[in-house]
Amino acid sequence: MATADDVPSAPSLEVWDQYKWHTFVEPLKKINEGHDVSAFLTSKAYGDIMTFLLQLNRAMFPSYVQSSEPNQKRSAQTWELGSSAVTFSETIQCLRSLLEDLNQIIDEVPPDTGPRRFGNASFRRWYEEVEERTSDLLYRHLPPTVLEFPMIPGDEVTPAGEIKSYFLGSFGSSQRLDYGSGHELSFLAFIGCMWKLGGFDASNLGNEERGIVLGVIDPYLQLVRRLIKTYTLEPAGSHGVWGLDDHSFIPYIFGSAQYGPSILPKDQTPTEGSLEGAPDPADVAKKTAVDRERDKNMYFGAIGFIHDVKKGPFWEHSPMLYDISGVRAGWGKINKGMVKMYNAEVLSKFPVVQHFRFGSLFSWEQDPNAAPAPPSVHTSNQPVRDGPRPSLENASARAPPPPQEGTKAPWASKPIIVPDPGIGTAAPWANKPSTMPGPDVGTAAPWATKPTAMPGPGVGRAALWANRSEVSANAGLPSTRFPQPSLRDPGATLPRTQMPLRAKDGETDAGNMPPPTEAPWAR
Amino acid sequence: MEQPEKLELLRSTESLPRAISELRACKIIPEPQVREICHKARELLIEEANVVQVDAPVTICGDIHGQFHDLMELFRVGGDVPDTNYLFMGDFVDRGFYSLESFLLLLCLKVRYPDRITLIRGNHESRQITTVYGFYDECLRKYGSANVWRYCCEVFDYLALGAIVLGTSSTLEPSFTDQSQAIEPVDDDVEIEIMNSRNEVTARFPRSRRPLFEPEALNSSPPGTPSKTGPSGTGATSDAGGSLQSGGGSVLCVHGGLSPLIDSVDKIRLLDRKQEVPHEGAMCDLLWSDPDEIDGWGLSPRGAGFLFGSDIVKRFNYLNDLSLIARAHQLVMEGFKEMFDSSIVTVWSAPNYCYRCGNVAAILELGEDTSNGGIISRSNGDAERSLQVLPTNDMPRSGPGRRYRVFEAAPQDPRGMPAKKPVADYFLINSPIAISIRTDFRLKDKEKFGGILELEDGEQESTGASEPEEIPVPDIKKGDVFII
Repeated sequence: MATADDVPSAPSLEVWDQYKWHTFVEPLKKINEGHDVSAFLTSKAYGDIMTFLLQLNRAMFPSYVQSSEPNQKRSAQTWELGSSAVTFSETIQCLRSLLEDLNQIIDEVPPDTGPRRFGNASFRRWYEEVEERTSDLLYRHLPPTVLEFPMIPGDEVTPAGEIKSYFLGSFGSSQRLDYGSGHELSFLAFIGCMWKLGGFDASNLGNEERGIVLGVIDPYLQLVRRLIKTYTLEPAGSHGVWGLDDHSFIPYIFGSAQYGPSILPKDQTPTEGSLEGAPDPADVAKKTAVDRERDKNMYFGAIGFIHDVKKGPFWEHSPMLYDISGVRAGWGKINKGMVKMYNAEVLSKFPVVQHFRFGSLFSWEQDPNAAPAPPSVHTSNQPVRDGPRPSLENASARAPPPPQEGTKAPWASKPIIVPDPGIGTAAPWANKPSTMPGPDVGTAAPWATKPTAMPGPGVGRAALWANRSEVSANAGLPSTRFPQPSLRDPGATLPRTQMPLRAKDGETDAGNMPPPTEAPWAR
Repeated sequence: MEQPEKLELLRSTESLPRAISELRACKIIPEPQVREICHKARELLIEEANVVQVDAPVTICGDIHGQFHDLMELFRVGGDVPDTNYLFMGDFVDRGFYSLESFLLLLCLKVRYPDRITLIRGNHESRQITTVYGFYDECLRKYGSANVWRYCCEVFDYLALGAIVLGTSSTLEPSFTDQSQAIEPVDDDVEIEIMNSRNEVTARFPRSRRPLFEPEALNSSPPGTPSKTGPSGTGATSDAGGSLQSGGGSVLCVHGGLSPLIDSVDKIRLLDRKQEVPHEGAMCDLLWSDPDEIDGWGLSPRGAGFLFGSDIVKRFNYLNDLSLIARAHQLVMEGFKEMFDSSIVTVWSAPNYCYRCGNVAAILELGEDTSNGGIISRSNGDAERSLQVLPTNDMPRSGPGRRYRVFEAAPQDPRGMPAKKPVADYFLINSPIAISIRTDFRLKDKEKFGGILELEDGEQESTGASEPEEIPVPDIKKGDVFII
């Protein structure tokens, strides 16, 4: 863990050379079955996402301001929401107006007032509007450095063409009328794309990141909250009360950093301690404290939203956040925990990352510097498709296909229960996306090894996430359920072939969408 | 080996009333006791048919989802067990904070009063679903290991798939709490009555004269063929000319709905139910499907089960002599929702679902038909069918009289604030990450690591001393799991 004291300890996402031509591609889904998550965790895209997240995270810790007077105590500069100490670059201003435009579309598409079960089908109209105007919105609001990034003449996909996919994936599922951390991840990637293409002022390190978090990500979260409230969007996959939050994750990362201890540029990102005068983490359960802090701090902003939408004792509807509020080692510790948890519960979870798309900016290519992904509970117990659909990229690297499920008559034998032979007490759910470690876990405990290589490019120091945590599903995050129709072949299941099958998102049941339980094996 | 077995059962009978009172107070009971109760429950449930036969009067309840305090409110509104005969249509667990307490209480009541409470399986009573939607997390969190979750899952496999309510009345008896008040007797012509949680009637609907399902298309038998006259849903036949045609008919209760693979109640009886809920097939569909405003069958957005339209329901009810299908599975803001000319109803019993949906809950009371000396009759509202008299459109529909009791979430104040539990290991310093793995593996890990786990910061610490530094862990033993 040794680093030279004077080296800034925060790596940052690489900005591409503006003088080289590039081939942009339409991002594609690559994570098709549980085992692909391992490949994702050693991909360049994964390294880029974590690098960018940590880069933004670090920038949110308060900074020491060295006083000009010698014996004067140094003071701390905090980065609150609305802080005048953060200046917004032109790009950030543009992204703000982009989000403002999306907000206005909500005004144009009021929610249905008719009878309905839960999710409001008008969200589909909002989404269609956004979809229709996407090109226009992006061309109007993205900086020229991004839009005109040199592309090989004759190429069909423009930079905006590649970025668009991440942008459109950021606002929830119009089919399922839900929103979750996978959509949030897509927005992070959208901003990351622009960072790579030189859309941001990378010379002003720190300030630009803070501008992104306070000036773009927070307004994005506000927009999402408005969408959730207006169209009563469901949590996309939910551990019920046992998840961290029904919809969001990153405000807890950046918000805890805002209250972390002050740092100097050469300091490592803190892992414990708090800013002097920061509220007690236990204050999250107190409504008055939350109301006081929610406009300044993103953690409390997210908690405030929970208080807005939920009725009942806080400890009961949000036991995880309640327990975290008992952490006594400070906001730095909470921050570190949140990053680890994000890594394990969002980025390592098949249901969440399966929708992530890979192109030239966030690449599916394997990262030669990546720490080998251990066969973790996340990856070895991921659900598998009815038929193996190998992706060429990592076909050789993949483990043998897991037992298949499917076409046999389900009642003919005990279903889908294939105990892991390597484990003595292997339970019937071993084949499920659960907490059972695969057979290799234990002999080569991945957490027992020292942090080694860094997934991110150009980074020499082991990172917080390099030590991949083996965490069970029960850490309870609102991992995203699968917003896509069933892939089951109806002909194979239904006895009669003439059975009319209907696309679900038609008009007949508009406004009649319940917050249903999704089958975890559904695609 | 036999002696301990007997002892165990003896202990279980003695401790059952105590377990019930503990659970009623929303306290969890010791793990060995959970094991006994689950064992006992399994012995009971294994004897039950796939489709349990329940005699009216009965109160039918929908999803509970671990909302313990609201379950108590339900009992307050609907009457306590065993005074009221209950039928719960599954989804006891997941999402809520008290899945364990809720499910174990219902299970204890089942063991204590097997004839006064019927539990059928919901799609959440499954290993795979509970690992995704919260119950597994809750068990680990409350017991520090997955054992209790495993015991419960074993019970899930034995729960019946459905129930058929016989002997319902077409009229409404005065409500059980009415006796103290001078309430006028319910008019014979009232088909539906809605009451609030203060036992006040908020609405009554007279028996309507709506068009009946046209049976001709289905009646392919040559004239004179004896029609089925055995109890509804049995497919039994005789040529005795049918029994008396009074009463409200039979009601099929199932968690989700129908399956394209099931055209008769008898087919449900043929399933091998004692297993994890499959990903597809008839058993899966019964627990996962939803009615929808479509014709025929459609793909379900849930990724399991199907959507089915009014034609499917009416045909099924006609062929099986049912007057109504009662199901749960979908949130309805008003607590209940009748569809397809009252041929199917959704009953939802989790008020303010997930603490934020703002919905009310409901239970459905079906009265007992005493007009026939309690003899079970068969009718699906298609009176006189067995006499080859076709119904006409202005004949009153003769479904069961239905009283819906609608209630809101239980008041919050009696719930105190608990001590904070140790947090997930993400937030612990020096926490060997292995700590989040189930207890029974910890032992193995220890063996493999020779009692030493290397910590993420490169420090080493004996596994036995790996308790988090900043959180006191009073009631968790060494080697246990501190996961949420």
